[in-house]
Amino acid sequence: MARWRPYVLGLLGLAAITFPFLWLTLAPDFARNTMRVSWTPRHGLQFFSDLSPVFLGALLIWLGSWSNKRWHWQARLAGLVPAQRRAESIRGLKFALMPLVLSGAFFLSASSLGIFTNVAIYMILALGLNITVGMTGLLVLGYAGFYMFGAYVFGLGQEHLPFFPWWLAMPFAFVLGGGAGYLLGLPCLRLRGDYLAIVTLGFAEAFRELVRNLPITGADQGILLAPHATFRPQLFLGKGQMAFVITALLVFLAVFLIERLHRSPVGRAWIAIRENEIAAASVGVPVVQMKLLAFSLSAAIAALAGVIAGAKDGFVSPALGEFPQSITILAMVILGGLGNSYGALLGAALLYAVPQYLALLPSTIQQNPGLQAAIPPFLREALSHLSDYHLLLFGAVMVIMMLYRPQGLLGSARRKEEMLHR
Amino acid sequence: MTADAVPVTSTITAILTDGVVKGAVYALVALGYTMVYGVLGMINFAHGEVFMIGMFACVYGIGAMSTAWGDHVALNLMLGVVIAMIFSAAYGYANERIAYRRLRRAHVLAPLTSAIGVSTFLQYFIFLTVSKQNVDFPRYYSDWLTNGHVRFATVDVTYLQLAIIGTTLVLMAALFYFINATRMGIALRAVAQDQLMAGLVGIPVNKVIAFTFVLGSALAAVAGVMVAMYNDVLGFDAGYRVGLKAFTAAILGGIGNVPGAVLGAVILGVSEALTTYWYGSGWSDVTTFVVLMLVLLLRPRGLLGERVADKV
Repeated sequence: MARWRPYVLGLLGLAAITFPFLWLTLAPDFARNTMRVSWTPRHGLQFFSDLSPVFLGALLIWLGSWSNKRWHWQARLAGLVPAQRRAESIRGLKFALMPLVLSGAFFLSASSLGIFTNVAIYMILALGLNITVGMTGLLVLGYAGFYMFGAYVFGLGQEHLPFFPWWLAMPFAFVLGGGAGYLLGLPCLRLRGDYLAIVTLGFAEAFRELVRNLPITGADQGILLAPHATFRPQLFLGKGQMAFVITALLVFLAVFLIERLHRSPVGRAWIAIRENEIAAASVGVPVVQMKLLAFSLSAAIAALAGVIAGAKDGFVSPALGEFPQSITILAMVILGGLGNSYGALLGAALLYAVPQYLALLPSTIQQNPGLQAAIPPFLREALSHLSDYHLLLFGAVMVIMMLYRPQGLLGSARRKEEMLHR
Repeated sequence: MTADAVPVTSTITAILTDGVVKGAVYALVALGYTMVYGVLGMINFAHGEVFMIGMFACVYGIGAMSTAWGDHVALNLMLGVVIAMIFSAAYGYANERIAYRRLRRAHVLAPLTSAIGVSTFLQYFIFLTVSKQNVDFPRYYSDWLTNGHVRFATVDVTYLQLAIIGTTLVLMAALFYFINATRMGIALRAVAQDQLMAGLVGIPVNKVIAFTFVLGSALAAVAGVMVAMYNDVLGFDAGYRVGLKAFTAAILGGIGNVPGAVLGAVILGVSEALTTYWYGSGWSDVTTFVVLMLVLLLRPRGLLGERVADKV
């Protein structure tokens, strides 16, 4: 019993401090300008029933890890295929993946294609952020600021130059985004890591405010791009297919280049800085330059993604640079596995596609009687509400991952040690 | 002055007063950042959300009391502040216990990420369970404070502004006394200097750290209630903005330095009020950022900070 006491007390405490927010509702009394409170257990129950699939999932994961501790099924399962064979088949799979993904442009529905184009954009962003957060160990909180920066380089350039299509905007945005990252990194990369986090957050916020207030950037409406500058139907590809193919190709290119870089002396220097900055400096790693390189490269990649977003949507707006965007991208990198490019891809796919498909789920179930029969009604109801909860869940995922699996889904044991001890 | 006359104010002094009032609020929040940083060397990113929880807890408390025994302004308001402090302190404690304690020896990234997670979680928890829109503070409770004013030379200062500045000064003095003269304050400073050594001489390190969070959170709750009354609205995202500004103030004054946080907050509040006056309210966030960048460029240890750029 004594073993459970702290947990029981903790749960009771949490129940107490969340009590008013969950079970009571504010009811403004406009006549007297005062506030009343009413007892509405329905809201609290709704909250828990909406989250029931998550509790179910958590229970399954807990059962999995508990049974693994007991019976070591993960190791036994992995032992079935020799490590060498596994590595070879994964390598083979990577090459088979490219034609498979690209052919998706032809057999996916228009809505799925849109979702996957966005997934690919988030993949590029996650790959870029992974360079700073994962490989170099610099926390960047305002990454969406650079994303928006790239989009506005495209938008403003397109407004003022007669001929500025997306493919011309890309190198421009890349270079300018990198320059912006360099200038921003210059003052704060000399300092403790967490300053950078706050400065980039401040930059993103201030930049967004600037864009919303300056007359030339079109305030909250943003800038409408001329159709000739955005993705257009080309050859046998439609507009949506075009966007998907180009973004997917860029994802492949980015993975290839970043992985090459990761294994190069530059990548080694980044890892050294992440593991121990002082030790790295003492063996001659130019710490500040390497940090600046990582930071401006990742800013440049975000700016590139911004151009793609603009070319895909046909407009650019300050909504691209909102703080939840930055948090979402960060959550992707952390969930997938800090410092692992494939982890970033996985994180982006999970955290973008899952909420999107959850949002589509009610209509899918409605149209499909088979599914209607298969899913019990309470779960059907809960699944249809779950997409509202995704930011809440991202927050919880970030905390839980840091506590129990700081290396991320695809992280190594080495990374775990690094994260848990300094 | 006739009863219904519009308060006559010379504009610039009114702006400056507004700036000082904002600065006082930022100072209370900045203290939480700076104390936690001083003790643990981590940025408690969720501190702004604790402030926001304080706002909502107060409104809930006032609502519950007004439903239970009617609108007794002074009583309900006072108890509301106490409720806000209790709730914020509990949230601060829970954050420390759940999200940070296990990560105390971890890489800097781990607690910071965890804190961002807590912050996002709390924001959307309130967003989903309380209100997606801004909630109006019950004006019945704040009207007498915002309408009444005292005339100082050329400027009309409302009771609320006076109360904010006064409360901040009293709390600062109490905190100063606490840190410098009480047993717990001395233990706190010892833990800030060297956790291991403090533990060896018998200071209960975990309790002291938890207490730092509780104290900072309670101060933030007071600030939350005052901001809610001053701005008349509260929303799930209020803490994030104020938190960012308070953090900037803490850096400006030299993070880890208590008087520095106060100085930085007042400077930031006044410069924001001036920017709003000259360029419009959209620019005040830009000021925060420009101030932050300038400090980091020119004097990274802040105005009163002693330590030079820390090792990672």
